[in-house]
Amino acid sequence: MQTTSLTDRQNSFRAEFFRGVKTSLPLLIAFVPFGLLLGSQAVQKGFSILEVPLLTGLNFAGGSEFAAVGLWSIPPAIMLLAGVTFLINSRHILMGAALAPHLKHLPRWKIFLLLFFMCDEVWALTLTDLHARPGHRFSTGFYAGITVCLYLTWVIFTFMGGYTGNLLGDLTRYGVDMAFPAVFIMLLKGMWKGARNALPWCVSLGVAVLVHLLLPGAWYVPAGALAGITTAFLVVRGI
Amino acid sequence: MLHIPALLAILAMALVTYLTRIGGYLLLAGRKLSPRMQAVMDLIPGCVLVAVIAPDFATGRPADLLGLTATMLAATRFSLLPTMLCGVITTGLLRAILG
Repeated sequence: MQTTSLTDRQNSFRAEFFRGVKTSLPLLIAFVPFGLLLGSQAVQKGFSILEVPLLTGLNFAGGSEFAAVGLWSIPPAIMLLAGVTFLINSRHILMGAALAPHLKHLPRWKIFLLLFFMCDEVWALTLTDLHARPGHRFSTGFYAGITVCLYLTWVIFTFMGGYTGNLLGDLTRYGVDMAFPAVFIMLLKGMWKGARNALPWCVSLGVAVLVHLLLPGAWYVPAGALAGITTAFLVVRGI
Repeated sequence: MLHIPALLAILAMALVTYLTRIGGYLLLAGRKLSPRMQAVMDLIPGCVLVAVIAPDFATGRPADLLGLTATMLAATRFSLLPTMLCGVITTGLLRAILG
């Protein structure tokens, strides 16, 4: 039988899916230990064993989850948690805006489903891939492959961390915490487009460092990002 | 196993996070961007990522700053996996030596 275009599309989805899984595998070095750490800390703070995967599965944004565990009380301060979550995750608004032009051709329900899983790593790997392969459209299969790999790992290992308690001890003592900046630095390398990046990035970093040193909480993320974007606006205007 | 106040807190967080995720898309959906705005948009991802890792640069611990430098140097030469291993191992060793 001749290959139909439908099975062609399924085959290419499968190939793209596995390309996504493969691309995301190195990130498990960071996701597994941090998932275990978050789960064990959450249970020590009064989360029940089921509430841990419920949080990590519904929220799926590690930074805000660590913050929530740090601020957790019984009963929890809902407005405080929601506010801090917004502050930490407000960067998603900018991330979604950067991804939006690439999603235009997809049906809306698919876009709203895909965006549910848009954590830093999924987003950055997807954009890096789009930039690395000019002329290619947004690949749903690639995005899904990264997402399934990272989402399942995060939910399963945060659950296991809550279930087994603090088996690993404080891994950050050894340097495992450097895995996250390493991922981000690699992603930044992929986004480098010559010298006009340099100034906005430096301003963003400088302002974020200052705000982090001066103000408690997560203000440094929106403050640094907005300062960098303002600079980008001026730099682009100057060209 | 599930407590109502905890459940509400988790749902509130999940809702806020989801709104931030669809917010940027909703703001831009159906709009045409000028080339200049498109150029600015292209620079946004890096600005966000660099702000997220700012606390790693703000540390006063020499071992951590040297580890970060080693990670950046590794990133210029290697792919993701060796860069991560290089960063983690160098930082671990430096912390053991420098405290």
